[in-house]
Amino acid sequence: MMMAKPIRPEPPAKTGERLLDVKGLTIEIETRNGPATIVDGIDLHVDKGETLGIVGESGCGKSLTMLSMMRLLPNKIKVTKGEANFAGRDLQKMSNSELRKVRGGEVGFIFQDPMTSLNPVMRIGQQLAEPLIYHRGMSKAEARKRAGELLRLVGIPGAEDRLDAYPHELSGGMRQRVMIAIGLACNPQLLIADEPTTALDVTIQAQIVDLVKDLRDKLGMSVVWITHDLALIAGLVDRINVLYAGTVVEDAPVDALFANPSHPYTQGLLASIPKLSDERSTRLSSIGGTPPEPGRRPKGCPFAPRCPLAETICHERVPALEGLSHGGAHRVACFVAQRKLEAA
Amino acid sequence: MSVVPMTTTPIEIEPPVSLWRDAWHRLRRNKLAVFGLIVVVILAFAAIFGPYLTPYDFLSQDLNSRNIAPSLSHLFGTDDLGRDVFSRVVYGTRTAFLVAIVVTFIAVLIGVTLGALAGFFGGWLDRIVMWLTDMTMSIPNLLLVVVINASLKSPITSWMEGRYLATLNPIYRETIWVDFLLVFGSMALISWPPYARLVRAQVLSIRSRPYITAAQALGLTNRIILMRYVVPNALGPLIVAVSAGLGTAMVLESAFSFLGVGVNPPTPSWGNMISDGLRVWQHYPHLLAAPAAVLGLASVAFSFLGDGLNDALNPRGAK
Ligand SMILES: Nc1ncnc2c1ncn2[C@@H]1O[C@H](COP(=O)(O)OP(=O)(O)OP(=O)(O)O)[C@@H](O)[C@H]1O
Ligand code: SF4
Ligand SMILES: [Mg+2]
Repeated sequence: MMMAKPIRPEPPAKTGERLLDVKGLTIEIETRNGPATIVDGIDLHVDKGETLGIVGESGCGKSLTMLSMMRLLPNKIKVTKGEANFAGRDLQKMSNSELRKVRGGEVGFIFQDPMTSLNPVMRIGQQLAEPLIYHRGMSKAEARKRAGELLRLVGIPGAEDRLDAYPHELSGGMRQRVMIAIGLACNPQLLIADEPTTALDVTIQAQIVDLVKDLRDKLGMSVVWITHDLALIAGLVDRINVLYAGTVVEDAPVDALFANPSHPYTQGLLASIPKLSDERSTRLSSIGGTPPEPGRRPKGCPFAPRCPLAETICHERVPALEGLSHGGAHRVACFVAQRKLEAA
Repeated sequence: MSVVPMTTTPIEIEPPVSLWRDAWHRLRRNKLAVFGLIVVVILAFAAIFGPYLTPYDFLSQDLNSRNIAPSLSHLFGTDDLGRDVFSRVVYGTRTAFLVAIVVTFIAVLIGVTLGALAGFFGGWLDRIVMWLTDMTMSIPNLLLVVVINASLKSPITSWMEGRYLATLNPIYRETIWVDFLLVFGSMALISWPPYARLVRAQVLSIRSRPYITAAQALGLTNRIILMRYVVPNALGPLIVAVSAGLGTAMVLESAFSFLGVGVNPPTPSWGNMISDGLRVWQHYPHLLAAPAAVLGLASVAFSFLGDGLNDALNPRGAK
């Protein structure tokens, strides 16, 4: 049975060109008991034109990973290791003024909460115009015209009339569309959408997903879409990364992930997708326990304390993220899953 | 080079209106606020120019016409020394504004500095500031003022008298400014905590608002974020508090006068006129009514204006 390890070439890129390449990014938070690791040497990549879905339970570090790439972390939280290359340049090392050009200009952000992510005392037309004036050097009048086009683009009825509205005058769904419009304002190469639909009801969620899909195809950008909700993004993304406790535990093309979920955590996630119902409370019911708190990470596999398949080795060594099939495009960080494959 | 399809029909382009101009429009639609604003403007005018326009000098006595009821020649009547009450009330406007502005200015300065430091740095600095704030607020205000005045006023005054006799230096002769210093000082000393709390809370909460991170994610500079995102969100409540605080300071001065620790006669203040009037109001009600009505009007006007500013500067609450 002693076989040579299967050859694991790099997964074939959709267009072959890396747009975003995060390597070994580690994020720590200062606590009373010293620094605690929240994200542990995460690797991520997004190719040009590709849409990556990131799923994982609340608190697993999805938002912080995205914020840390753009150096937007709150005070007590720091990147201690790793790099985040965007179009070949390390975002962690570039100067503040270079970074500001990337932020908003080349990478658009859509935030989790449309209720609090817009400036409450600024008209939405002005909030849309701000990056256009700053990054594209438009005049106020040009920026306003373009702001109107953007609102129409994201499907806000009576777009031009809404330019003078304040955020509180719009519904949650409309505000989320405004956020998307702001994220898209400067035609970014990469759009990072951090759970852009959690605050919305189900039909509007689906509309927003369709909208982003449309815009992506029209504008040809790459997208990173963060969510807890695997089912929601199944039709949108090309590839999915499953995050657990600040590490990628499974990385697979979307079809392969649904057909052959290999990490026990992914299997749990899929099993807990409610069938034909909106009962979100049943989410993750099939996985007992809670993720490790920062600073109390287990020594071996971070999932070991909750894993139904855990073995002795799982508590001692950390499994690497390694390729399974599809020429290595499907990768998993689990000893048991990898052994199964080798045995097959 | 825009990938987004351009529109075919031209759009009417209006220049974006600023938050402040918007606020002004909303303020103008609020009748009470407009009333407050008009009264405040008239009072401010009276404070600045009034003493030059009044028919009588506020100090000139006419012992032949004492305690006259209001008439055409003496609009608010005269007091027990035959002084024209209208002229004194007008001069009192100046005192009221002087007290209110100086006291509020000092209180805001202390409050904003301490509150911003506490909110921004947190930690032990925050704890000390909050402790100071709570302490100051927990002591009954008037008690504190009376104690300060009683324990500082006479020692300082008698020390100055002693110095004057010893040196004949005119600096020590005039003791009125000690009055003012003590009145202003002790009023400011009890008035700053609300400003400190307000600013601390503002800084704390705005600093961690998602829209600040969102603005940073747009690549905007710190200067733009500060000017367009932090300041406008923090300023509204402070302006409102200052407007209401001006009225409160005027009322506070009257309360002090009533306790005998306010601005001293012969300088007219609404407070000392009210407390004088209170002694004789059964016989000469106009001596109480005139200054009390003006004080009430001023205090109501400032509070209407404050409320109006609150609504005007906060588009969420506007209807
Ligand atoms: N400002 C903060 N201060 C302290 N801890 C934080 C802060 N922000 C996040 N954390 C911690 O970091 C961890 C990761 O947070 P993060 O926001 O990245 O999670 P997430 O995966 O985006 O979760 P969610 O799905 O709820 O948005 C969590 O355990 C959280 O408690
Ligand atoms: S490595 Fe072990 S503990 Fe971790 S997921 Fe796989 S089986 Fe479970
Ligand atoms: Mg999040």
